[in-house]
Amino acid sequence: MITIKNLKKSFRTEEVETLAINNVNLTVEEGEFVAIMGPSGCGKSTLLNIIGMLDNPTEGSYNFASHEVAGLKESQRTQLRKGNLGFVFQSFNLIDELTVYENVELPLIYLKMGKAERKQKVMAVLERMKIAHREKHFPQQLSGGQQQRVAISRAVVTNPKLILADEPTGNLDSKNGIEVMNLLTELNQEGTTIVMVTHSDRDSHYAHRVINLFDGQIVTESKNREIGAMV
Amino acid sequence: MFKNYLKIAWRNLLKNKGYSIINIGGLALGMAVTLIIGLWIHDELTYNSYYTNKNKIAQVFQSQTFNNKTGTGPAIPLPLEPALREGYADNFKYLMMSSWTQTGYLKYGENSLSRTGNYMQPMAPDLLNLEILKGEKDGLREINSIMLAASTAEALFGQVDPIGKIIKLSNEHDLTVTSVYKDIPVNNAFNDTDYIIPWEHYTSTREWIQNSLDNWQNNSFQMFVQLNNNLTFDGVTQKIIDIKKNNDEDVVQFNPQIFLLPMEDWHLRSNFENGKQVGGRIKYVWLFGIIGAFVLLLACINFMNLSTARSEKRAKEVGIRKSIGSQKGQLIYQFLSESFLVVVFAFFMALAIVLLSLNGFNDLARKEITFPWTNTTFWLISFMFILFTSLLAGSYPALYLSSFRPVDVLKGTFKAGKYAGLPRKILVVLQFTVSVAFIIGTVIVMQQINHAKNRPVGYDKEGLIQVPTFSQDFIGKYDVMREQFLKSGAIVEMSSSSSPTTRIWSNRSGFVWEGKPEGFQEDLAWTEVSSEYAKSLNLKIVEGRDFSRDFATDSLGVLINETAKKYLGMENPIGQLLRDDSEEDPGPPLKIIGVVEDMIAQSPYEPVKQAMYVYDRNDNSSFYNMRLNPDQSASQNIAVIERVFKENFPDIPFQYEFVDEEYGEKFASEERIGTLSGIFTALAILISCLGLFGLTSFVAEQRTKEIGVRKVLGASVFNVWNMLSKDFLKLVIISCFIAVPIAYYVMNGWLQEYPYRVILKWWIFAVAMLGAMAVTVLTVSFQAIRAAKSNPIESLRTE
Repeated sequence: MITIKNLKKSFRTEEVETLAINNVNLTVEEGEFVAIMGPSGCGKSTLLNIIGMLDNPTEGSYNFASHEVAGLKESQRTQLRKGNLGFVFQSFNLIDELTVYENVELPLIYLKMGKAERKQKVMAVLERMKIAHREKHFPQQLSGGQQQRVAISRAVVTNPKLILADEPTGNLDSKNGIEVMNLLTELNQEGTTIVMVTHSDRDSHYAHRVINLFDGQIVTESKNREIGAMV
Repeated sequence: MFKNYLKIAWRNLLKNKGYSIINIGGLALGMAVTLIIGLWIHDELTYNSYYTNKNKIAQVFQSQTFNNKTGTGPAIPLPLEPALREGYADNFKYLMMSSWTQTGYLKYGENSLSRTGNYMQPMAPDLLNLEILKGEKDGLREINSIMLAASTAEALFGQVDPIGKIIKLSNEHDLTVTSVYKDIPVNNAFNDTDYIIPWEHYTSTREWIQNSLDNWQNNSFQMFVQLNNNLTFDGVTQKIIDIKKNNDEDVVQFNPQIFLLPMEDWHLRSNFENGKQVGGRIKYVWLFGIIGAFVLLLACINFMNLSTARSEKRAKEVGIRKSIGSQKGQLIYQFLSESFLVVVFAFFMALAIVLLSLNGFNDLARKEITFPWTNTTFWLISFMFILFTSLLAGSYPALYLSSFRPVDVLKGTFKAGKYAGLPRKILVVLQFTVSVAFIIGTVIVMQQINHAKNRPVGYDKEGLIQVPTFSQDFIGKYDVMREQFLKSGAIVEMSSSSSPTTRIWSNRSGFVWEGKPEGFQEDLAWTEVSSEYAKSLNLKIVEGRDFSRDFATDSLGVLINETAKKYLGMENPIGQLLRDDSEEDPGPPLKIIGVVEDMIAQSPYEPVKQAMYVYDRNDNSSFYNMRLNPDQSASQNIAVIERVFKENFPDIPFQYEFVDEEYGEKFASEERIGTLSGIFTALAILISCLGLFGLTSFVAEQRTKEIGVRKVLGASVFNVWNMLSKDFLKLVIISCFIAVPIAYYVMNGWLQEYPYRVILKWWIFAVAMLGAMAVTVLTVSFQAIRAAKSNPIESLRTE
């Protein structure tokens, strides 16, 4: 699904140029659950943003589902992202002015889906995430765990091929964290590919494969033997 | 999608009530100003819209040059009519002579009224598009007929059918009412024509007109024309321009030019300077149009600044939307929808403001503007106005907000760049540049008005009234009436005159005097007065003496003003003769017996014109000038005067005017402009301050942590206030330095139109600058002090 070759990403400020990603090669197969780990500033979020097409690499190639992404314009990336990718963020990133229902509905609106179909899909995903009873609430009225469930609902409502999770449990207590990881695992078992950035060793054990980054380079890559050992 | 955008916009408005109020309130004020100005401009531009043929109607004008100075006006000589009819008839569908609009007393039974009307030729109902309500359209055929406007007919006849009834005009002539026409609406020429009497009646009952039939030099009449189709005003003007020169050799020296002034120019472009058409009220249309546009711009700048200042709050939303599939274009559309929503709210609030203030505005602007509820064009234009304002206010924020990169904003590390605040600063500078320029402009307009108001008028206008005497009944009764009024105790002196004190109605040329330079073309204001003219007006005699009843020869005496003395080049004018140089029937020579101080009878902004005050031998005045008894109240005096007047002239309505009020009318136009620009300036400043207030609260909020840290480290309230205020003050100071030269340039140009004008002093600019700075400090301080006084622990904890 994802093939990354010789990927580089540098940031230039007035005085210095920092190489955030340095010659990364990575392949992610369809249905895989990959965790990216590493210390702060090692480039994991940058890599995730490039995989999520929110950012463009400086050099190298990134192929997503047989489409070359590197060098695409923002509007082309948006088009490719739409419906194919779902995002889950550490800080949930829900729109405060929209209700739970409306937040989840939003990606479907951008896909120009009809109202009835939207309703059916949103309610189905909310039921599944056990948050349907809160559909009329605003994000601030929910706990962190509930907000992340809404965020996951929003990420999966379009049935994306790939979910990108950036420290999805970072702002949650352990009980809610486990719940969220179980949800992601369930989605993966149903066939959704997941790439997750995490600091948490525990969370990384949910993944099939763990990639360790250091100073923008992949230093180790390991496979978990017991998939879903913590479930 | 649109619904989704509006939903978000609505919730954002509710969530940030303070900013919403500033945003919507400021925009509403700006839009209200623009709407009111728009209605005013519409009213000005639709002047004369009653006339369906207005693009074919014109008035005949004339330019003449005396001593290299060209004067232009609508007064034309009588023989022009036959000359045009004979040689150029095929150019005109209608060609109509008319008198000036004049006051007449109409009497039916016991009912008598004073109304203004014209003598016109029989094609008047066609040319003026009169809608005949009763009687015949051809109502001016018979010499003793009269056509009445509906309101006048109703006032005179009540429920009685006026057609065929006989009314008395100025207690002299019996006229039969032949038709009643619908009043010509306000905002149209001839709106004050309450009656029309046949031209033939006018010419046949006045000897002086009979004497003018062949006189190309007596310019005392008006002519209106309607062109035949396919002809242009310029084209016809080219044919007739020299008609006067070609008919009378004597006038060639004055280079008279006859031309057509189209009806469409009568109201807005009727000013002439040295023979050239130089505009007129159109300059006010431009002025207010520019003010309206600027005030709207100021309000839109508030919207832009507050929206972009709040960008950090909206950044996350932009990031999320982009990450889940929103295109940049969709976000632009979303933010424009938000500005549309705000502008729609503001528009309805503006409508409410306009409705509440329209009466007051009408009083100020002397208009009768009604709100065009049922006019679909108005609503269409309003919709366009909403769209335009939404775009103007919303484009920059929409482009700015939609350009955020999701990567930056979603990580929560988004901070606006170093120069992100620069456009906001530029916009604040623009706002205050406009506001400061408005302040300076308004102060200078007010100063100029006061300067002219304080100019010595040359006579005592307080406690002086003028009573019109436009009827044959008054002829020969001046002495008797003076005695009666004096005896009544209501007045201490009175005189009569052929013009009102505050105007010049007649000008003369054609005099010869000793030492007159060769080829000198004189032009003097001419007023016929009774003996006590100078005395009743407290007009100072500076040389010679006043008229006296003791000298019978004073009936051929004349007083001149100081300007005339210089103009005629007389070092010792007393005793000098002014002879009539006409070959046929020359009048007797007039002897100068005194020189009076200059009195302002025309524009208070112009030099006083050379004038002569001639003894009224025929006792045929137009006004009684009465100096009220200062020991009694004016109302008491006037009640007594009215009683005496009614005893002597029971059939003539008693009317009077206070001369000081009439004189005050000369400033009315400038004062209106001054007051209106004062109000608009105040609103412009209010809008700018609203924006500044909003921005300050934002900056204070953004810098909460910094303020907290500074306070913990020992900063005083003053230190924090100073830190927050100084940034804004700097911007306002920059604005002042941009505004001052612009305002100086524009206002100096404006003042050049007035020969008698105030000298621009540096302190006007200094006061405007200090005023703007004081307002800024006040506005900013409220938020700055609040932020400075907050508990630092609170602010640090929120981080």
